[in-house]
Amino acid sequence: MSENKYSVLNTRVHNVDGHAKVTGRATYTFDVTLPGMLYGKILRSPHPHAKILKIDYSEALKFPGVIAVVTGKEDTLGVKQGIWRRYKDLCDEAILTVDKVRYIGEPVAAVAAVSEEIAEQALDLINVDYEVLPFVDDPMEAIKKDAPLIHEGFERNVNVTRQISWGDVEEAFEEAEYVREDWFKLGGQHHMCMETRAAVANYTPDGKLTIYTSTQSAYYHQALLAGVLGLREGNIRVLAPYVGGGFGGKFELDGAQFCASVLSMKCCKPVKVVFSREEDFIASKRRTPMYYYVRTGVKKDGTFCAREAKVFTNGGAYTGMGATALYLTGFFHSFPYRWKAYRYDGYRVYTNSLPSTSMRGFGAPQAMFCSEQQIEWIANDLGLDPIEMRRKNGHYEGYEVPGQATIASCGLDQALTAIQKWKTSKGKLPKNRAIGISAAGFMSGGIFNWFDSPYSFSSAVVTINHDGTVELHVGAQEIGQGSSTTLAMICAEALGVKLEDIKVHMGDTDHSPADLGAWGSRQTLMAGNATKMAAEDAKKQLLEFANAKLGFNIIYDLDIKQGWVYNVARPERGMSYYDLCKEALRGKEGQRIIGRGFYTPRRKGMISPAYSYMVQGLDVEIDPETGYLKIHESVTAHDCGQPINTLGLIGQLEGAASMAIGFGYYEYLPVEDGKIMNPNLVDYKLIRAPEMPSCQVIEIDTYEPEGPYGAKEAGEGLTNPHAAALGNAIFYATGLQMKEAPIRAEAIAKAWKEKNEKAKK
Amino acid sequence: MSVICPVCKKVKKNPVDCARHMFGTGDKPHRAWFETQGLSFIDLLLDQATQPGNKSYELVGGYVEKAQKDLT
Repeated sequence: MSENKYSVLNTRVHNVDGHAKVTGRATYTFDVTLPGMLYGKILRSPHPHAKILKIDYSEALKFPGVIAVVTGKEDTLGVKQGIWRRYKDLCDEAILTVDKVRYIGEPVAAVAAVSEEIAEQALDLINVDYEVLPFVDDPMEAIKKDAPLIHEGFERNVNVTRQISWGDVEEAFEEAEYVREDWFKLGGQHHMCMETRAAVANYTPDGKLTIYTSTQSAYYHQALLAGVLGLREGNIRVLAPYVGGGFGGKFELDGAQFCASVLSMKCCKPVKVVFSREEDFIASKRRTPMYYYVRTGVKKDGTFCAREAKVFTNGGAYTGMGATALYLTGFFHSFPYRWKAYRYDGYRVYTNSLPSTSMRGFGAPQAMFCSEQQIEWIANDLGLDPIEMRRKNGHYEGYEVPGQATIASCGLDQALTAIQKWKTSKGKLPKNRAIGISAAGFMSGGIFNWFDSPYSFSSAVVTINHDGTVELHVGAQEIGQGSSTTLAMICAEALGVKLEDIKVHMGDTDHSPADLGAWGSRQTLMAGNATKMAAEDAKKQLLEFANAKLGFNIIYDLDIKQGWVYNVARPERGMSYYDLCKEALRGKEGQRIIGRGFYTPRRKGMISPAYSYMVQGLDVEIDPETGYLKIHESVTAHDCGQPINTLGLIGQLEGAASMAIGFGYYEYLPVEDGKIMNPNLVDYKLIRAPEMPSCQVIEIDTYEPEGPYGAKEAGEGLTNPHAAALGNAIFYATGLQMKEAPIRAEAIAKAWKEKNEKAKK
Repeated sequence: MSVICPVCKKVKKNPVDCARHMFGTGDKPHRAWFETQGLSFIDLLLDQATQPGNKSYELVGGYVEKAQKDLT
């Protein structure tokens, strides 16, 4: 192992908020209680599609303990909102609907009462007259001419279309010597945050709203609430206490935040709304279900020529983040390979079902399930080594994805080699057991600004106190992924101080600079760059004092490392950083040293400033009779540039693996007649500890020039390859080609039975 | 044969490529052009998406080709 050139980075560090969490002292929104607080509950639609004719809540208001009822028609006036603020057509969700419900679970009215139980009982006293309408919950049905129209003005229920293309696809297919086409079906997946959606809103007579909420982006929620409530952004303070997971599901405005705020404004009292687990299932959002058509043309030697994909996504009732997922699934479907010509047509379709949105992987897990299995089948058909075929066509450093992205660092080739070595070391496996592999790449933050933020994508302020402690203020959001630790480490490294000198402040729009928050794997790179810049700014100011104080010849450079301020040419000459801080503040008339930093990507293509790469191997045993899978081992060769916290990195990768195996195998989310059939933790199957395979991570050494200290994404991208790796293992063990995710045990058993019957005939 | 988009005047390499660009852009001005030609944007878009081949692109490509003489 090479010597670590850093003092703080590339070490194993426990999360800075770890003690608070494991000792139960961490305060989540659920724990927030304010004096005089009321409790809110939401009445939800029982119909997938219906007109609201009348809402009568007079009996509910008479119920002792009920303080207020709000409806869309009377209180919130159906003001529509959405996270694609630059495109008004796509801001299509009123949250408290006025005239029509479009999915089971859509909020219709909300009650505030002195207790949660009373609020719950009062919901039964609200009478809503509906005119039930025909509904459609499948995108392929929703685009038919006679399908019910879900939103006026969106013919055939087509919500959004996206296209990506380069090269001459027809010509490239003509060059191909082998062409294969397949249809795939991908299911939804629930975000399954340990903490359900929750908010405590407190509106005061001076026109100010403070809201504690479980969010991935305090700034987004400040801006979205201002838009729908008619308040100035500056009059809304969003506080994110500890957040129990997000996974892409907590940066759109949700019913808890909106209803708590509206009720609080009506009552001028604090109101708390916490979703039950069932509400979280039926009325938050989900990973986007998709139908995927893939046609691929290759030469007999395995050279990739052309790929064409057509995708229909089940958007559910509203747009949300689905439009971004529609683009990204098409972009990552080309990854991590070089295609001479590529064409993607994506169609997001409205249906009368739970809205679909972003979820860890952001459209890429669906894309990779189709792509990486089809590539394996093609290699098998042509008698080629699938790893070598991937290597032959893979991205490399300096490659430009035409019109989309430039790859500045890429460890794909090394990752393939590492997995090949592991695969070889496994030798011959017993019957019904095989290794499946899959490659993937992912972004390190999005370049797109559909939110129309006027602020830098990330900002940071570093303040140095007289005792040398450092206040790091960032708008980035800790949601359990370890960002506060990562940013503290970057700050400590840049300043040359100890990790324990850094205090991180985030999740408060009054005191943290604006930042787009935690989504799209953006925080290490974007907030990390802003933090590094702020720390270096503060350090520069400190070193100016040090120069004056130490009186070295001006030709010498100074630096700070591990709390020692020193002459780089003669490191033994210098002074304590802590003494320097005291004197520097005195020299500035008592003013603390403040450094500022920001980051917005420039000239980095359409999608992201940097891309991570990974190859996943799974050793899987299949019981063909029952279809049950046992995953013996998971090995990941992973390129995330320079690791910051090597312990946190492993935690993130194992977390991604558990979620990805859920998407690929366990987590089935069936919808019938517009209704989710298993909205509880008994029937919705999450992976459990005994089912989790042992995970090994092989870190691939690369340096990303755009990242802080060469770092890039880790923890989201690894959600992408597992489902395909599972499918590929099943293929080698049984010969079955599984085209539906999750690959349910029943489906494997059925396909196995059919295969045997066919063979007998 | 390069052609000009009859709506936004972007140059495309051939009529089919131009048709694809028009479907892909899909904004109000591009949709309105379909109507002026007596075509249904959404029906053609979904025919293209759900049926094999390039029927809709080729059909619209023909209209684009005819429109060229008024653009040059």
